[in-house]
Amino acid sequence: MAATEALVIDSPEAKPVRRASRGNSFGRQAGLRSNLHLKLLAPILVFEGLFVVYPIIRGVILAFQQTNYGKTSWVGLANFRQMIHDPIFWASVRTTFEFTLAMVVVWLSLGLGVALLTNWAFKGRSLVRGILAIPWAIPDVPTVLTFTIMLDPNFGILNRIASWIPGVHHQIQWLTAPNLAFIAIITMVAWKGFPFYSLVILSSLQAIPDDLYEAAKVDGAGAFQRFRSITFPSIVPTLSLLAVLAFIFSFQQFTLIYLSTGGGPGQDTSTIAILIYNQAFQYFNYNYASAMAAVGLLLAVFGTVLFVVIERRVIRQRYLEGGLS
Amino acid sequence: MAVSVVEATTLRTRIPPVRNPWPRRKRKAKEAFRYAVIVALCLVVLFPVYWMVLSTFQPEKYTLTYPPPLWFRGFNTSAISSLFSQQPIASWLFHSFIVSAVTVVITVVLAVPGAYLLSRLRFRGSGAFGFLLLFTQLMPGAMIIVPELEWYRTLHWTNNLFTLGLLYAAFNVPLGCWILKSSFDTVPNEVIDACYVDGCTQVGSIRRILIPLSRAGLVAVVIVAFFGSWNDYLFASAFLTNRSLYTAGLGIATFISQQNVQLFQLMAAGVVFSLLPVILYVSVQRHVARGLTAGAVK
Repeated sequence: MAATEALVIDSPEAKPVRRASRGNSFGRQAGLRSNLHLKLLAPILVFEGLFVVYPIIRGVILAFQQTNYGKTSWVGLANFRQMIHDPIFWASVRTTFEFTLAMVVVWLSLGLGVALLTNWAFKGRSLVRGILAIPWAIPDVPTVLTFTIMLDPNFGILNRIASWIPGVHHQIQWLTAPNLAFIAIITMVAWKGFPFYSLVILSSLQAIPDDLYEAAKVDGAGAFQRFRSITFPSIVPTLSLLAVLAFIFSFQQFTLIYLSTGGGPGQDTSTIAILIYNQAFQYFNYNYASAMAAVGLLLAVFGTVLFVVIERRVIRQRYLEGGLS
Repeated sequence: MAVSVVEATTLRTRIPPVRNPWPRRKRKAKEAFRYAVIVALCLVVLFPVYWMVLSTFQPEKYTLTYPPPLWFRGFNTSAISSLFSQQPIASWLFHSFIVSAVTVVITVVLAVPGAYLLSRLRFRGSGAFGFLLLFTQLMPGAMIIVPELEWYRTLHWTNNLFTLGLLYAAFNVPLGCWILKSSFDTVPNEVIDACYVDGCTQVGSIRRILIPLSRAGLVAVVIVAFFGSWNDYLFASAFLTNRSLYTAGLGIATFISQQNVQLFQLMAAGVVFSLLPVILYVSVQRHVARGLTAGAVK
């Protein structure tokens, strides 16, 4: 302490002396004594409050109101009651559930597969990793354009490729046939999003110490056994975090679905996000849309809490592992 | 640190295993197989991109024939030139650029204090602050769009590129904070202490030490904010009703439902719109890939 002060007193600037001598030099502890954190917090809180928190509150209020001919009145739970009896809402809940589940499985398995495949010292691996991440950089709208053109029943390339399969003759209606549209959407969303998962899994694979594999080899473990008892357990924490993220990201997905099928055919690909948008901007049922959005918000809160809980566990586990090694 | 671990790993795998019952030939075959799978994967992944480029530069008479040719039968740029002459794509791109610039600047300005709060300060409510950021980041846009639009209408902020940029910034600040936080975390405490000893304040330590040492993190924040606003369709479609203010994503999306827009123009628009993000991504990919993923899984 004294030494620090002595050093600081020699410095030409007078002001910092006071700050440095006030306490320990660690930023963390200095923060306890100053109100710097308030000054740093204020702009962010004001900004996020204005653009995110306030609209959320407003949205929840909207869910309990009804506007008719410019008159707004409180209707209590009427919007929610309508929602519970609305088969279209339940259909979209089901679609959302199926879609998010499918995306979690597809994204994680694709990500894991690609990560395992590229986690290896080969020539041109940085090039390959770069190429495999390009879909990530292509914006949503061009992605939809390209897939729509490729899947076009009349002149799309996919029907040409499909015609190579013996037995396929007719022109497949990829985006307007019930189950195919769902599969087409999953393929498109998977293509756009998988690089993120493979990059994260790859970096977690590379953190596994090599000695473990060497030891397993010496013990005569085969490739599958090594995967089962070394690789997989080491990346389970990362995978579970990614699973929550995949759930949230597919729950958020709007543009790719809306611009390719618009939620159709029928309600087949209409997730909650699509339904809310259509209710609000096609039928102008703002209040009803807000009621559904309120349910969606609850789900998002649930997802966030899940993320935090799993992350805490992951950090604790990493800490324990760090302590052991 | 992590890089050296990676290098060590890759070096290790080149050393033959201790007990290898099979001579080199089998290993060679295995390697060749792996290469083949990797190449096939790259081809499949790149195919849509290739198809977009092919449909843009393929001479018109081939693009709408069935079966469509798989290779270039010629090369012409008439799609691009007709796109720019017949559609207001240039001004749309300019709008996208303005909105993205606003988003990037605001996001960086607010992410620095946010990251400092998360990384270096412990204060009452810091947990709640972190949760607020995470929630904002993970909240689906469609859940908030209705009240947000009403709020913007009350403020007379719709049909305004600057306020649209502010909105995108609000959604990108949280992720920016997390990315920059993980970057700030890597700066050793000793360096900061040395800075204090030399008489700088906490704010000075951000400006002189943390920011210069977190360049990769800052670039990652810029990229994320840029992608976030360049990519958006949802909010733009609700907040911009004036066709002369359309951003490129919104404008190009309207092509889909328009009968008079030719297919090759559509694809050309896709190529033009993807160009900037892809160039940005390729130029910084090596430096920020870790920062980008660190931001999501802190």
